[in-house]
Amino acid sequence: MSAEIEDIIKRFQNYPNVVGIIIVDLFAIPIKTTMDYNLTVHYATLVSNLLSKASKMVHSLDMTNELTSLRLRTSKHEVVIVPEENFFIIVVQNPSE
Amino acid sequence: MNRLNSKVLEEIVHKNADNTSRIVEQTHGYVVSENNGALVATSFDNTTAQAIVKHVHDNFLKMAQSAIRDLDPTDKLCFMRVATRKFEFLVAPDDPFTITVLL
Repeated sequence: MSAEIEDIIKRFQNYPNVVGIIIVDLFAIPIKTTMDYNLTVHYATLVSNLLSKASKMVHSLDMTNELTSLRLRTSKHEVVIVPEENFFIIVVQNPSE
Repeated sequence: MNRLNSKVLEEIVHKNADNTSRIVEQTHGYVVSENNGALVATSFDNTTAQAIVKHVHDNFLKMAQSAIRDLDPTDKLCFMRVATRKFEFLVAPDDPFTITVLL
C-alpha cells in the first residue's frame, strides 16, 4: 500500500499547479503530506467529515450509486478529493486560468 | 417580499432560456433553488428536484461552504463537483440562488 501511495504522490507532484498533496487514512489521520503539519491536520479532519457526508448523500439519493470524487473550487484554489479503498487522496491545486 | 423575489428569479430563468435549453440537451437535468431551500425551476419532476435540493443543498453544500471558510476565512466556495459512478452533480452556489446540474 505504501508503494501505491508513493506512486500517487510522485504522479501528482509533477504537475506545476499543485500546491500540496495529502494522503489520509480512513480514521482521518494523515499518512503522507507535502504541506505543513497544522494545515494538513486541518484539511484531513474537514475533508473526512465532508467525504462521509457526501457519500451518505449520494447513497440517500440513489442506493446503488457511489461517490467517486469531490472537487471544491474556491476563489483561491481547487481541492480535489478522491476516496480510495483504504485511504483518501486530497490534492490542493491552483486553478489553471 | 418573497413573492417579488421569486418573480425576479423567474424572470432571470426566462431570460436565460437559451442557456437552460442547451443545458437540458446535454445533461440529465438541472435544479435552480433559492438559498432558503425553495425550488425555483427544474427540468426534473417535483419529487426528484425536492430530494436533490434537500440532500445536496441543505445538507451538503452548506457543510462544504463552512469547511472552506474554516480553512481560510477570506476564501469562499465558488463551485462544487460531486462525481459518482452514474453521474456528476455540478453545483454553483451564488447569492440569490444556487444551480445544480446533473451531468
